Amino acid sequence: MAKIIHYRSKCIGCGVCFEMYPDQWRMSKKDGKATLVNAILKKDVFVLPVTNYIQQLTQELTRACPVKIIKVL
Amino acid sequence: MKKPTIELLSPAGSFEALQAAINGGADAVYFGVEQLNMRAKSINSFMLEDIQQIAAICKANEVRTYLTLNTIMYDHDMQLLHAILKEVKKYAIDAVIASDFAVIEACNQLNIPLHISTQANISNLETVQFFARFSDVVVLARELTLKQVAHICNEIERRNIKGISGELMKVEVFVHGALCMAISGKCYLSLHAQNASANRGACTQNCRRPYTVTDTETNEKLLVDNEYIMSPKDLCMIDKLSEVVNSGVSVLKIEGRGKGPDYVYTVTQCYREALQALENSSYTAGKIEDWMKRLATVYNRGFWNGYYLGHQLGEWTAHPGSSATEKKIYVGKGSKYYPKIKVGEFAIESGSVKEGDTLMITGAAVGMAREKMVTLTVNGAQKAIAVKGDKITFPFGTKITQGDKLYKIVETANG
Repeated sequence: MAKIIHYRSKCIGCGVCFEMYPDQWRMSKKDGKATLVNAILKKDVFVLPVTNYIQQLTQELTRACPVKIIKVL
Repeated sequence: MKKPTIELLSPAGSFEALQAAINGGADAVYFGVEQLNMRAKSINSFMLEDIQQIAAICKANEVRTYLTLNTIMYDHDMQLLHAILKEVKKYAIDAVIASDFAVIEACNQLNIPLHISTQANISNLETVQFFARFSDVVVLARELTLKQVAHICNEIERRNIKGISGELMKVEVFVHGALCMAISGKCYLSLHAQNASANRGACTQNCRRPYTVTDTETNEKLLVDNEYIMSPKDLCMIDKLSEVVNSGVSVLKIEGRGKGPDYVYTVTQCYREALQALENSSYTAGKIEDWMKRLATVYNRGFWNGYYLGHQLGEWTAHPGSSATEKKIYVGKGSKYYPKIKVGEFAIESGSVKEGDTLMITGAAVGMAREKMVTLTVNGAQKAIAVKGDKITFPFGTKITQGDKLYKIVETANG
């Protein structure tokens, strides 16, 4: 299954992911970084299994993220 | 009029650079934590938990600490902002450097001393007067001339403009380091090109690359005398430091939280020596030449006096990266130090070192230290050269710690 991977610790909190896909991302009030909704923490990175359709949508986001910490597999 | 003592303010982007700034003779250091600072993309960014250690190191060395919180702030940043300010208060960081009004307001409420960042683009006296209600120090826009700076400083004294603490407002200016093609760093170039916001600390430095300009109607390439049409040379005021000091400023700032300990040490030390020379009237052309030579050994894009002398046009660099006359090559890691005989032990991980090489060691405790290697012992026997895999020992005057990085210094084609 397709996955979105988020290296959250490197997030600079610009908010572009939340702007583009507000259903999938939240801006944490606690530390100002983006949170991938329902993702599971595995070895310091957040992983979320997604459908192929969402995976394709997220491709655009991997390019938009200024610190390139969002990947799709 | 008695001249106030000038404060030398150095950048600290890592524990190594922090120690290098202290060793170089800085009166104060500035640093950022987490993502709310203009070097958020920098790999070695400090974290919230580091504030305690930074404060302790600086207190022990009697160096003042300023924390930068100078990005654009969004609503989702407020809780982190307050968490950072809580630590600032707890560990008595000397001031916060800010330009966003939310930070200004929060610092005022918490009685945290405030410096207004160069990001606020302060270019006139009325603005200084406005910010005096909230702060004690203003960092002026880097685009002002020294005449304008001097006017602002004189008028602060004449009109008796006092900051929030009740003391006369202090003026801080940049004296050394990278300049930006945009006024006061307010640039959208890397946002347009790579969606990376410079004003959230993610500048991708598109301006530093060479460009050709093409007329799309005729497909003709326009003739520009320099491909690096957006990359200014680096600011260097060491040769005009008496003018800078005479303008009445109180703080001299060195740019470079993204730079390494070798850079921070060399630049801080040169400006410290120059300030001392000014104090004891020994600021001579010969010394200036020596400082310029030493400053050219570390990262730079060529030097100019910035906008301080009223240039009509900026001076642009002619190179993609650094014009430094020396470069450092990583060779290995420190493993032990024998303090009685002053000998350091290192493991060579890449390349080679030989007798007579100039070596540089960087680390959180040592900052930056460099010495010429006189004798070399490889795996227990005296040898002229050591290669990858070897364990070496050699006399080194400064104490090193395990994990310190060993570099050899070589001259570049610019040298």
